[in-house]
Amino acid sequence: MTTAAGLSRGRFAPAYLPTGCEGLDRLLGGGLPRGALVEMSGRASSGRFSVALSALAATTETGEAAALVDPGDHFDPQGAAAAGADLSRVLWLRPRGLKMAFAAAETVLATGFALVILDLGLAHVSRRRFDDAVWLRLARRARFHDAALFVLAPYRVTGVAARIVLAADAARAGWNRACLDHWPQSLSLLDGLSARLVVEKNLEKTRDMHMKEKTSLLNLSLLEALQAGKEERKICLEKEEKEREGAGSALSAFGR
Amino acid sequence: MVPLFPLAARLRSEPALRDEAVVLCEGNGTAAHVVAATRKARKAGIRPGFTLPQARALLPDLLTRARDAESERAAQEALLDVAGTVSPRVEDAGDGVVYLDAEGLERLFPDERDLGRALIAAAKRESLPARCGLASSKLAARVAATLPDSPVVVPAGGEAAFLAPLPLVKLDPEAEIVETLARWGLASVGDFAKLPAADVASRLGARGHALHEIARGRDPRPLVPRRPPPGFTEGMELEWPLVTLPPFLALAEGALERLERRLEAEAVGCARLDVSLTLEPEGCDTRTIELPAPTRDVKTLLTLVRLGLEGRPPGAAVTGFSLTAHPDAPRKGQLTLFGPAEISPDRLATALAKLFALLGPGRAGAPQAVDGHRPERFALVPFAPPPPPAARRAPRTGRGLLSVRVLRPAVPLEVLLEGERPASLRALASAEGGGRPALDVAGPVRVASGPWRLEEGWWQETPAFRAYWDVELSGGGLYRIFRDEPGGEWFADGVYD
Repeated sequence: MTTAAGLSRGRFAPAYLPTGCEGLDRLLGGGLPRGALVEMSGRASSGRFSVALSALAATTETGEAAALVDPGDHFDPQGAAAAGADLSRVLWLRPRGLKMAFAAAETVLATGFALVILDLGLAHVSRRRFDDAVWLRLARRARFHDAALFVLAPYRVTGVAARIVLAADAARAGWNRACLDHWPQSLSLLDGLSARLVVEKNLEKTRDMHMKEKTSLLNLSLLEALQAGKEERKICLEKEEKEREGAGSALSAFGR
Repeated sequence: MVPLFPLAARLRSEPALRDEAVVLCEGNGTAAHVVAATRKARKAGIRPGFTLPQARALLPDLLTRARDAESERAAQEALLDVAGTVSPRVEDAGDGVVYLDAEGLERLFPDERDLGRALIAAAKRESLPARCGLASSKLAARVAATLPDSPVVVPAGGEAAFLAPLPLVKLDPEAEIVETLARWGLASVGDFAKLPAADVASRLGARGHALHEIARGRDPRPLVPRRPPPGFTEGMELEWPLVTLPPFLALAEGALERLERRLEAEAVGCARLDVSLTLEPEGCDTRTIELPAPTRDVKTLLTLVRLGLEGRPPGAAVTGFSLTAHPDAPRKGQLTLFGPAEISPDRLATALAKLFALLGPGRAGAPQAVDGHRPERFALVPFAPPPPPAARRAPRTGRGLLSVRVLRPAVPLEVLLEGERPASLRALASAEGGGRPALDVAGPVRVASGPWRLEEGWWQETPAFRAYWDVELSGGGLYRIFRDEPGGEWFADGVYD
């Protein structure tokens, strides 16, 4: 029997959930596919957490609910709110350990959340600590409930269960070089981060030409609010530095 | 009414015994005697009043159960709930007898027999083999319910004629009056009703007069409606003490299924579940399970009971239990054609209850931004998403913001300085990392930006005076580290990722 909710979802719900990152959306043909497990792997500071939060913000902005399974307890509500996430539509789960995290992810996938993000954090995850079948089970749940499951891991863990596997590498921090020229290095400002996204596996049927692309550049800029605060601080420091220089010369003059 | 009510209540709690030869006993040791027997046992010749050895002599494989006050109370409540589904005025007469006021139900049930059939069917769903009688007086209705071919309808004004051919014992008279009437040679209700009222009153007193009025079809007792109880309770007393969890959960599941049926009949969900365990040799363990939203899902409730008992075992063998569900109206969801589909409130409530039970308190909810400056601050509030918009909104694209993974708690670091600037760092072992560094970070610093000072809560016991740095390591990795000003220790509290 088809329910009204099913009709609504099937007809009007888009097949992709945009991530809010243009390059990545183009690479994926529109965003994270519903009903599939998408894995993104990369080392620390490769931009994968930013991509996940961007997808979280984009999904909740449309009015859908999203869940974040965060065993590492890394989520920053203030940062997510500033990035545009509607926090009232976000279910944040802070399990203690992987086993709990998998159980929690299974539960939320079966509940009807449009997007479920499972972040395995930064630490090394031993594959002996869980059965590979867990990924197949999660992928099946995502497919059955038409949810997008986005798994973040330091390296590939989902095996054959993932429909799309992305890898983020060659990450480089961007520093405000103008500052570096005129200021001590300690007063340079962090501008953002760039990384190269590579599609390592894609079982999604090619919808258009963009799907043939295998790599894309991921450019992430620091939140304007943080940047503005640091700019203010930089101006203060500049003022203090000038005052100190002035005071120093005055003292020398007085001593002389 | 439910015939052989104590037995019916016991079989409701243990449905597996329904087709077995079972007797319900009262008394201990040699004084134990049969109160009621199932059809299979009755076929073997066992009758109420037999001693247990007599019954066993007839049927060696006979199963025996003691009367269970908890099961009987739950079955009586279930019977009252059944009556409450058709009428708001219901009287609890106890022992499997319930009276209800059928006034005004003509439009719902034009034929009174249909009302009776509906009640019998509803009671059957509650695993209670009920019989129904409809009459203008309580006694006539009760007597009608004892007759075969239930439901039996007594026409209004025809109570005296209905009762007339029945034996006097149907009126439940006192033994003394029965003896007197037998001496007078009266056998049927009709014979007694024909006697002059004044003479009966002068010879048998007030009690005899009241019985005479009843025999004439005039039952002066009014219906006394009961006040609905605040919760639904199911439970049972156990034949033997339980020391392990699995058998208890099997019994609790049955009780929860019965609770679910009763909650469903009232169109309500369970907002709070009280679990009361009777312990051996004496004592009681009572605990309350708060649910984030009303639910009727048996699996969820059972999981919560299991997790509660696993987390805090009762500490002694369990000899009985009762589960009380405090009802509340379930949340309603509104479907939309053009906007995003809303998560079913019932399913969400069930999932949240499971997650709370799985993760523990403070581990699941909606995040909330908190005023302040410490980057690790956060708050969790109950997850209750607003209804989705009428039309799907387009998300903003192309923002690509760099986010920070917050490290909770901050990871202690060993930092080598060049002047004030960090030149090299290494994560130190901590309790959170199990005696190893909680973060795999070490190496020379390529770029360090800072310090960005933070001061907060100087009036508090644990103020924050920190000097923050953004550092990029030569080997890769972009971290937010700080120096705790009073102590001078270094910590990493975020990773730009």
